[in-house]
Amino acid sequence: MVLAARTPGDEAVTTPRVLDVSGLPAYDISSRSPLWLGQLLMCLIEGSLFLILIAMYFYLRLSVDVWPPPGVQLPNLILPTLALIPLIASCAGSYLASEAAKMNDRRGMLVGMALNLVLAIVFLVLRTVEWYGLNFTWKADVHGSIVWSILFLHTYDVVADLIMTTVLVVLVASGRYGEKQRLGVHVDSVLWYFLVAIWLPLYAVVYWGSHVVGAPQ
Amino acid sequence: MNPVLETAERNEPFGNLEPEAIDKTWRDERGLKGWLSVTTHQAIGKRYIVTAFMFLLLGGLEALLMRLQLSSPENTFLGPGRYNQLFTVHGTTMMFLFAVPVMEGMGVYFVPLMLGTRNVAFPRLNAFGYWMYLAGGLLFYGAALTNTAPDAGWFAYPPLSGPQYSPGKGVDVWAQMITFTEISALCVAVELIATILRMRAPGMSLNRMPLFCWGMLVQSFMVLFAMPAVMVASTVMLLNDRTIGTHFVNPAEGGDPLLYQHIFWFFGHPEVYIIFIPALGMVSAIMEGSTRRGVFGYPAVVLSLVANAFVAFGLWVHHMFATGLPQIGEAYFTAASMMIAITSGVIIFCWIATLWTGRIHLTAALHFVFGFIVIFVLGGMTGVMLASVPLNLQAHDSYFVVGHFHYVLIGGALFPLFGAFHYWFPKFTGRMIDERLGKIAFWILFFGFNLTFFPMHIVGLNGMTRRIYTYPEIVGWQNMNLLATAGAFTILLGGIVFIANVLTSRKSGAPAGNDPWEAGTLEWATSSPPANYNFVHLPFINSRYPLWAGKADRGFVTGMRSDRREVLVTSVLDAEPHHRYVLPGSTIWPFVTAAGLSVGLVGSIFAFSGYFVASALGMIGVIGWFWPREPLEMKP
Amino acid sequence: MKRVLLLSSLAVAGRAQQTAMDPAGAPARSIAHLGLFFLALLTAIYIVVITFALLPLMRRHRGIDQEPLEGNHRPSDATETRMAKRIGLATVATILILFGLITVSVSTSKATSGSPPRPDSLVVEITATQWWWSVRYANNDASRIVMAANEMHIPVGRPVMIRGTSTDVIHSFWVPNLQGKRDLIPSRTNIDWIQADRPGRYRGQCAEFCGLQHAHMALWVVAEPPDRFEEWYSRQLQPAADPADPVRQRGQQVFMDYACVLCHTIQGTQAAGQVGPDLTHLASRLTIAAGTLPNNKGNLAGWITDPQSIKPGNHMATVPIRPEDMQPLLEYLESLQ
Repeated sequence: MVLAARTPGDEAVTTPRVLDVSGLPAYDISSRSPLWLGQLLMCLIEGSLFLILIAMYFYLRLSVDVWPPPGVQLPNLILPTLALIPLIASCAGSYLASEAAKMNDRRGMLVGMALNLVLAIVFLVLRTVEWYGLNFTWKADVHGSIVWSILFLHTYDVVADLIMTTVLVVLVASGRYGEKQRLGVHVDSVLWYFLVAIWLPLYAVVYWGSHVVGAPQ
Repeated sequence: MNPVLETAERNEPFGNLEPEAIDKTWRDERGLKGWLSVTTHQAIGKRYIVTAFMFLLLGGLEALLMRLQLSSPENTFLGPGRYNQLFTVHGTTMMFLFAVPVMEGMGVYFVPLMLGTRNVAFPRLNAFGYWMYLAGGLLFYGAALTNTAPDAGWFAYPPLSGPQYSPGKGVDVWAQMITFTEISALCVAVELIATILRMRAPGMSLNRMPLFCWGMLVQSFMVLFAMPAVMVASTVMLLNDRTIGTHFVNPAEGGDPLLYQHIFWFFGHPEVYIIFIPALGMVSAIMEGSTRRGVFGYPAVVLSLVANAFVAFGLWVHHMFATGLPQIGEAYFTAASMMIAITSGVIIFCWIATLWTGRIHLTAALHFVFGFIVIFVLGGMTGVMLASVPLNLQAHDSYFVVGHFHYVLIGGALFPLFGAFHYWFPKFTGRMIDERLGKIAFWILFFGFNLTFFPMHIVGLNGMTRRIYTYPEIVGWQNMNLLATAGAFTILLGGIVFIANVLTSRKSGAPAGNDPWEAGTLEWATSSPPANYNFVHLPFINSRYPLWAGKADRGFVTGMRSDRREVLVTSVLDAEPHHRYVLPGSTIWPFVTAAGLSVGLVGSIFAFSGYFVASALGMIGVIGWFWPREPLEMKP
Repeated sequence: MKRVLLLSSLAVAGRAQQTAMDPAGAPARSIAHLGLFFLALLTAIYIVVITFALLPLMRRHRGIDQEPLEGNHRPSDATETRMAKRIGLATVATILILFGLITVSVSTSKATSGSPPRPDSLVVEITATQWWWSVRYANNDASRIVMAANEMHIPVGRPVMIRGTSTDVIHSFWVPNLQGKRDLIPSRTNIDWIQADRPGRYRGQCAEFCGLQHAHMALWVVAEPPDRFEEWYSRQLQPAADPADPVRQRGQQVFMDYACVLCHTIQGTQAAGQVGPDLTHLASRLTIAAGTLPNNKGNLAGWITDPQSIKPGNHMATVPIRPEDMQPLLEYLESLQ
């Protein structure tokens, strides 16, 4: 319909060619939206940040003989591994919400985002418990500095995304939303998938790193 | 007058767009609040360019003071403390506050015009990025004026920049200023990529996109991967070591100063290409306008740009040859560093072919392009020398390197930029720039540049090291230094002629019309200067140079609403229309967000809790930014 | 007097003493030859490229006003194909030339590298500190270890292995006539190889920005025939002799009574400070304050009286020495041959 003007026969037309786009939808809640692409690019930025931190971890590991430094307890593996369950499950909530946003299903969006929030908060509680269990701080030595930096930056991003999700819940629940906000719900899920996905390598480095590539005194 | 627009204005019947209606929709608000709320790309692009130019003048002034100090041996014009501050502030200004932002500004201004759309994909993010850049610059110079300038060099190597050897707040200001400018660069990168991939005029498949847009696309991707590295280096490592006691660069607690160098140069080397690749796009545009043919070997040029970007991430270690790395690594990085000469060579060859087969109109802009080739190729040759480990070990950190990178950066970025100012001046202002004065400015700048920087190669091989505030008479460096100082003042003269030309031409230059150079790309298809909405009717194209194509290959889009800021979203590869998309109007929230974030980030120089302030204020700003405004388009 | 002559000869020949373009030893010579090869080849390429870039100006057309636009703004396909072939050839040539350059560069790199260490090397440990150089001649026999500062003597023709490190920030050891530079990094030891093939005095200076007085952190390398070197070495092995005449005895007492003793070592006395340069053979050196001033009595007096005006920000304390104590102190220091 729209591209009728591009048929080969039109080449001979001497009057200016016209492409009528009035029939096109005015919004598109999908990965074709510029906002979706923008969100993906934001994820790329954060992804390169975290990949650099991972590279730093191994660089620092390789420059010393003893890792983690004397006195540092090897991290407990059970709690952080358990915490992965609610974290990965929370993606289902995101997915529900983003699909509901496409279909303008208000209930679906609310249920999805709520599920996302609840499971993410369970994850954060487990992380807090685990974090308190660490017997070193960022000031102890360079191992402490890199582990705390990774934990802090990832937690910071998670909390920031949850606040934005909460705002979206408020907007959708109050009915004060249109297509822009539905698009917001849709792309919000992209960031959440990313934060979950990037946590897997970070988790491996922070919790398994000193077990697998460590060397006791 | 341009044929597309001409027809569009004559044959209004098929358009449902009234210029008055669209003008009203895209108009900026008046007053101070309106000025702070602007989200049109042209206004923000111009703000970037003008602000960056102010910083260029400041950085140039600092360079002149340094040249005065070095003009004679044992000079006491400046003391060591002041001199160290000056070269640190000069380097930082030129890299972070001038070169990158001015390229971003040119991209913000021209990419939507060249793509045939109305604005960038995220106008509020664009405004926010500019305010962050401005805040970073003000913070940096505010600190410098209150004698808190950093003095550890523009790459601030620890341990010298660490808490023990650089007490005071100068280095903290430096580290956090980088955060401001990096946020700004990242904002522009994200919005330009989204604009370029999703908002090209229908029919502008990727292989029809102007080379300047290709340059900005490649540069933006480089920004995405490079800027996080410098934020890690400057804030996570250096600033946290200084303020909250982490140990990343503290050898006593397992940290490693060389890790900082790796991370910094993983950003720092691509940074050069972040500055230089948009300049390649500008050279291509000027060449097309001045030879009136498309750049020869368009696919080869595009592939070389992309290859340059990849290779640029693989050769940071050639900044670190003297640190004593394993030899196998050295050999790899030598090879990688020389590889970039192949792709850069291909681009130069294609331009030469363009000049050979085109019909040259020797404008002032083209003068700068020729100057660029003469200077930049020489910088490339010394670059090949620096890629060789043994030669590097002699030349590294000497004035040879100072000469080399000024040839590459001034030759590779500033000359194209000046050429671009001359070439696009009619588009910015609606008036022609004085060609004769432009050529005079070129010759003064070209002569002054070579007089300043060529002797540096010689004096560098004679053992003059970088960053020394004075030197004894017996080493015999005074003649070359005196020449360089004379050259620096010649550059100043050239700059004055250029500024005078700009100021007089924008008042009294000849009216330019839409397309004074009879160039082929879409920025010339609209009025000069363009209206806020760029085009009354969005163009619809069928070739790489739509204004050179026959009428059958041109057209335009109808069916867009004029009562809201609508743009057309097209597909990534072939630019098939997909949906209409509504951009936000003027809003003060980006300014408010940037202000809140800035307050917190400035606070973080003093205490880590500043980050929490920044986050809280930033979050409030972002919520205001995204808060739904009436009309909510289609209600549920 | 002898020293004054020597310094004036330094000043006359100054130009040649700190340059990579007048190599005085094997590694620097290989690098200089490599550099000349690169320079010649790249200059030739540069001239060719620039000539081709500027040639089109010779046959340029008239201005835009006179010349109507052609339809498609393209030359004929034949021209385009011809150009494409030429560019292809130029690119292949570029690749081949670069490949050659890489090969030559890597082989020179191997030939000039400090590792593995050359057999029969003299081992000298350089420790950089803001803003001076400590020089230690390593030896398995502790009684054969020599400490010096800001000046090193080396025997002509013998490889010298430098083991360099730093106590504070990153510095870089660079004596351009002898070798490229090598960074000195805290808690790391870097290895380098220098060698002089003809006698001479070669100036070097710190090449990595190291703070306020980076500009005044120079050192001299004195290359001597092996017998002269051995002579120098055995003199340096001696502790400072106890002064015989009363003025110098008084001067030694002044040194021990004032704060000087806290930072400086004079072997054979109770002065054993580790903060500043070892002064056991101060008077035998060419310069003071890390190459800042020629070593003579007047400069020494000025330096002791007010080091901060000569080298602002340096870490030598200003010790208020009473005028009547100054002359004996200088006499004593001048005697530390």
